[in-house]
Amino acid sequence: MKKEITKYYPLIPVFTAYLFLFLIGKNISGMWQLVAMLLFYCALGQAFNIFLGMTGYVDFGYVAFMGVGTYGMALAITKLAHIEGLGIGIIIIGFILALLMSTLLSMAVGAVALRLRGAYFAIATIGVNEGFRFLIEGARIWNGSEGLIFTAQLNEILGRNAASALMTFWADIIVLIIAALAAFVTLFYMRSKIGYALTALREDEDAAKVMGINVTKYKIIAFITSACFAGLVGATSWALKTPYVFPPEVFEIHYTIEAIIIVLLGGAGTLLGPVAGGLIYGISKYYLSIFLPGFQLLIFAPIIIIIIVLFPEGVVGMLKYRLKDSALARFII
Amino acid sequence: MFLEQLTGNLVQGIVLGAVYGMATMGLSLIFGVLKVVNVGHGAFIMVGAFTTLWLFNALGINPIIAVPIAFVIGMGLGFIFYYTTMQRLIKAPELATLLATFSIGILLEEIVKLTFGSEFRGYNWVVGKINIGVTVLPMSKLYACIGSMIIALLLYLWFKKTRAGSAVRSVVEDSEGARVCGVNVGGAYALSFALGIGLTVASGVLLTMFIPVGINPYMGGGYTLKAFVIAVLGGLSSPYGAFFGGLAFGLIENGSYTLFALIPGVEPFALTRFLSFVVLLVILLIKPTGLLSSK
Repeated sequence: MKKEITKYYPLIPVFTAYLFLFLIGKNISGMWQLVAMLLFYCALGQAFNIFLGMTGYVDFGYVAFMGVGTYGMALAITKLAHIEGLGIGIIIIGFILALLMSTLLSMAVGAVALRLRGAYFAIATIGVNEGFRFLIEGARIWNGSEGLIFTAQLNEILGRNAASALMTFWADIIVLIIAALAAFVTLFYMRSKIGYALTALREDEDAAKVMGINVTKYKIIAFITSACFAGLVGATSWALKTPYVFPPEVFEIHYTIEAIIIVLLGGAGTLLGPVAGGLIYGISKYYLSIFLPGFQLLIFAPIIIIIIVLFPEGVVGMLKYRLKDSALARFII
Repeated sequence: MFLEQLTGNLVQGIVLGAVYGMATMGLSLIFGVLKVVNVGHGAFIMVGAFTTLWLFNALGINPIIAVPIAFVIGMGLGFIFYYTTMQRLIKAPELATLLATFSIGILLEEIVKLTFGSEFRGYNWVVGKINIGVTVLPMSKLYACIGSMIIALLLYLWFKKTRAGSAVRSVVEDSEGARVCGVNVGGAYALSFALGIGLTVASGVLLTMFIPVGINPYMGGGYTLKAFVIAVLGGLSSPYGAFFGGLAFGLIENGSYTLFALIPGVEPFALTRFLSFVVLLVILLIKPTGLLSSK
C-alpha cells in the first residue's frame, strides 16, 4: 500500500504549483487574468505532453482538437438552448460532446497518420487544422465562416450573473481541474505498462516492435488521450470564456506552436515540465506583451532554436539530472 | 460552355503547376539529401516574394532579373542557417529538425513583418496578355511558367553534368561510401541545403506573378501545405518528381475549383484547399513513396 502512494509523489510539486497559482489569483487583486492565462498554458502543455513528450512524434495539427472541442461546446449550447430546464446540465452535455468530437477526430486522424513515422507523420498532421477549417468554411458546416455566437443563449439559460461568473471565474477553475487531471493521467501512464511501452518506442521504435510491443496501440492511446484533453481545454478556455467560435480563430496554428514551446521549454516527457514551461512561457509572454508588444514570436522563435540545439532536455530535464541522487529526486520526474 | 471553361482552367492549372513544381524542388532536394523536412518552407517563398516587391517598388528592377538575385539571397540564408543550426542537428531525432526549421520559418516571418508591416501588398508589372484560344493568359504568368521550366532543366543538368552535382548524388546514394571516396560530405550537405533554400526563395519571385496583391509576411503557410502535397505526390525526395507533382497539383487544384463551383451553397476556394489536404492523406496512406516513383 505504501508503495502505491510513493508512486504518486511526483504529483506533489505539480499540485502545489497549481494551488499557489489559485491562491495568488484569488487573494491578490488584479492577478486573476494572468493566473487564468497561466492555467491555460499549463493545461495546454500538460495535454500536449501526453503525446509529444511521451511518443516523440510532432503533431503540427494539434490545435484542431481544441477547435473541435470548442465546436462541441458551442453546438451543445446553440442547438439545445431551446430545451427548458437543462440549466447547468447543458455545460455537461457540452463537455461530453467536446470529448466525443475530439475523440472521433483523433481516431480518424490517428488511423491514417499514426501508420506513418517521423517526418511523414509530421507532414500528414500539418494540414489537419487547415484541412478541417477549410472543410467547415467550404461546405458551410456549423454556419461556415460566419461561426457561432452564443452569448445570448448562455445568458438566457444560466441567467446573466451566473453566466458572467462562469466566464470570468468558473471556466478558469475548470481549466485548473483539467490541467490537474492531465497531470494525473500523465503520471498514471508513466507508472503503467503504457508508459514503459511509449518510452521504448520513443527511444527506438523498431527495437520496441521486435520486443513484441504493439507500438500502434500505445501510440493511439497517447494520441487520443492527448486529443481529448485538448478538446476539453478548447471547450472551456475558448467556448466558455468567450462565447463565440470562428473557424480561423480556433484552427490557428499559432496555438500548436505555443504548445510545442511550452513542452520543450519545460522538458518533453517529464511530468513537471509542462507546468514549468507553461509558467515561464506565460509570464514572459504577459510581460513581453506589455513592454514589447508584437515582438513575442520574434523573441520566442530563436529561443526554440537555442533550446533544441543547446538544451534539448528542457528546464525540468536539467533539474532532474542535477538532483539525480538527492532526496528530492523522487518528487521530480 | 462548361467544357470550354474547364479546358481554360486546366491550361491555367498547368501554367501555375509548373511554378508550383519549381517551388517544391527545394523542399524535395533538402529532404532527399539531408533527410530533413523543411517545415519553414513557405517562409522562404515569402522572402522571395518580398525580395521581388522591394526590388520592383524601390529600385524598379524587373521581376525576371529578381530571380537570380533572390536565388543568391536564398543561398546565403541557406548557408547561414545550415552552419548555425542544421549542422548540429543532422544526427539528432526528427523532432529537433522539424522544430528547428519551423522556428526558422517563424523567425523570418517576424523579421519581415517588423521591416515591412503585416498588411497585404503588391506591385504592378504591366506586360500585357496573350490569347491562346481557350483562355487569356497574362504574359507575366507565361514568363513564370517558362522560367520555372528553365530552372528545373538547369538543376537537372547541374546534377548530371557537374562534379558538385555528382558529389551530392553520391551522398544521397551512400554517405559513408562517398566519404571513403573522398567526397566532402559535410560540404555536400551545406551546398544542398543552400541550393534548396536558394531555389525556394527564387520560386517566391515567380509565384508573385500569380498573386499580384497577395504579398504578406504570413503568406507562406498555405504554400507550405501545398508544397507538402506536391512533394509527396512526387515521392518527397526527388526534385524532378516534385516538378511533375507540381504540374499534377496545378491540374487538380484548378480542375476541382471548376467542379466545386458547380455545387450551390459552398465556397469552392475553401473546398479546393480541403481537397489538397485529402489528397495528401490519401497518397501518404496508399503510396508514401509517391505516385510517380517506381518503388
